[in-house]
Amino acid sequence: MHRPFYETHNRAILSVLLVTAFIWSLFSVEWGGNLFHDGGIVTILQIVKAMFNPDLSPRLLKLALVSSWRTLAYAVAGMTLAVIIAFLLGTLASGILVEGRWSRRFSAGLFRALLGFMRAVHELVWAWLFVAAAGLSPFAAIFALAIPYGGTLGRILADIINDVPPEPVRALRAAGAGRVQVLFYGYLPMAMADMVSYVMYRFECAIRSAAIMSFVGLGGLGYQIQISLADLKYNEVWTFIFFLIGLVVLVDLWSMRLRRGLVS
Amino acid sequence: MRGKVTEIVKPAVQLRNVSKSFGGNVALSPLSLTIKRGETVALVGPSGSGKTTLLNIMATIIKPDRGEVIIDGVPSQNLKPGRELSRKVGIIHQQLDLVDQLPVIHNVLAGRLGEWGICRSLLSLMIPQDKELAFKALNRVGLIDKSHQRTSRLSGGEQQRVALARLLVQRPQAVLADEPVSSLDPARAEDLLAMLTDLVREENQTLIASLHAVKYARRYFSRIVALRQGRVFFDRPVSDVSDDDLARLYDLKEDADAQALL
Repeated sequence: MHRPFYETHNRAILSVLLVTAFIWSLFSVEWGGNLFHDGGIVTILQIVKAMFNPDLSPRLLKLALVSSWRTLAYAVAGMTLAVIIAFLLGTLASGILVEGRWSRRFSAGLFRALLGFMRAVHELVWAWLFVAAAGLSPFAAIFALAIPYGGTLGRILADIINDVPPEPVRALRAAGAGRVQVLFYGYLPMAMADMVSYVMYRFECAIRSAAIMSFVGLGGLGYQIQISLADLKYNEVWTFIFFLIGLVVLVDLWSMRLRRGLVS
Repeated sequence: MRGKVTEIVKPAVQLRNVSKSFGGNVALSPLSLTIKRGETVALVGPSGSGKTTLLNIMATIIKPDRGEVIIDGVPSQNLKPGRELSRKVGIIHQQLDLVDQLPVIHNVLAGRLGEWGICRSLLSLMIPQDKELAFKALNRVGLIDKSHQRTSRLSGGEQQRVALARLLVQRPQAVLADEPVSSLDPARAEDLLAMLTDLVREENQTLIASLHAVKYARRYFSRIVALRQGRVFFDRPVSDVSDDDLARLYDLKEDADAQALL
């Protein structure tokens, strides 16, 4: 029994191909002076220097605080809506609420496709669409966040529900529970810990996304970063970036505490 | 006159020529069995003899390939899942049937889900409903002080008793138990079986349990049904079962293995 060469060494062959492609790609870069524009290196040095010297004047700190608050508010509102969407569409997409193999497949197929459509479009694109339709209102930012995030969370919830051990569910059915009752007494408690940690992880992402929302003019940390960048005030930029990092770290600490509470 | 008589002695569970195979492996050859109300029946036999399949068919979790399953006079396919079925039969497996993440009390009250509507069952997750019923059941199995603990924190034996408390709350006419004591040490196994058989007799329920240890069957049950290779090997009241019968039940299995090896 001799297996062909490419079958026993397929991993090694693929690795060699990929490394060669990478090295080859380096030759297509023009390494001359065109890599950075005139003064590009100087700018980078200025930005790095500004990092150690952020603008900490009371006026700017107050502005950063207000902007952080606004970004956080977008993220919280968008995430809340996303969780509601995910719960409704995710349970339908798991197919556990309907009886029979075909209706189950139909429900799962239809709602998984809907969730896929929602997350196929990036939140920034949704934001453009909503700003075009509804103007520069906070709702545009919230909906733009809620739709793709709801799509992702819903998909994950459906997957987690489908992976739950079947024995307790069968026992609940045997004890006389209907489909909705099994959802609340079996599937959701079993899916809860995984779901909460994933929601918290996505919440971090939502904060970064909410900051980016500002680039379409919706206010918040990203908007301030954009203005300061345009004014070449790098030390102000860094202040805002540090606030953004601070927000993400706070959410991370919160999620760690939540998870510890759920697991023990 | 005759019709009336059959009405009165309506058996708890009746199987008529039931067979089941899983992908070519015969789990049950055509098998018929009648179990009267109030009987306590032990299913014994070597592993792979079809005990679990039989119990799952009686609980309507598995559909037989052929034959009829009649539960309390109603053909099983006519029983509506949910309330109607949960009043007729309840089943406990080996520990696997609890939701680990829920507090004990909700696992016990899950036995009421057949009776409750959706709103009431949702409300119960916040404010436990029919609390006295759950406490009474937990008291009966000696776990009253653990009612609000997370189920996963309980030991295997305690979880088995939680499952028992759920059945007490569900109050089905017939209790099916699949190897209820296989994972317990001997002392706890005796405790649990004594508790189970006492409870069933008090409520005048029917009990059908599969067991791997024949000594428990003789001590706690009124009738022994021995299965071998998907057929009834013998079926008699516990007082008529001789040591010889049991020796043959397990020896023959070894003979069959030996023959297969040859």
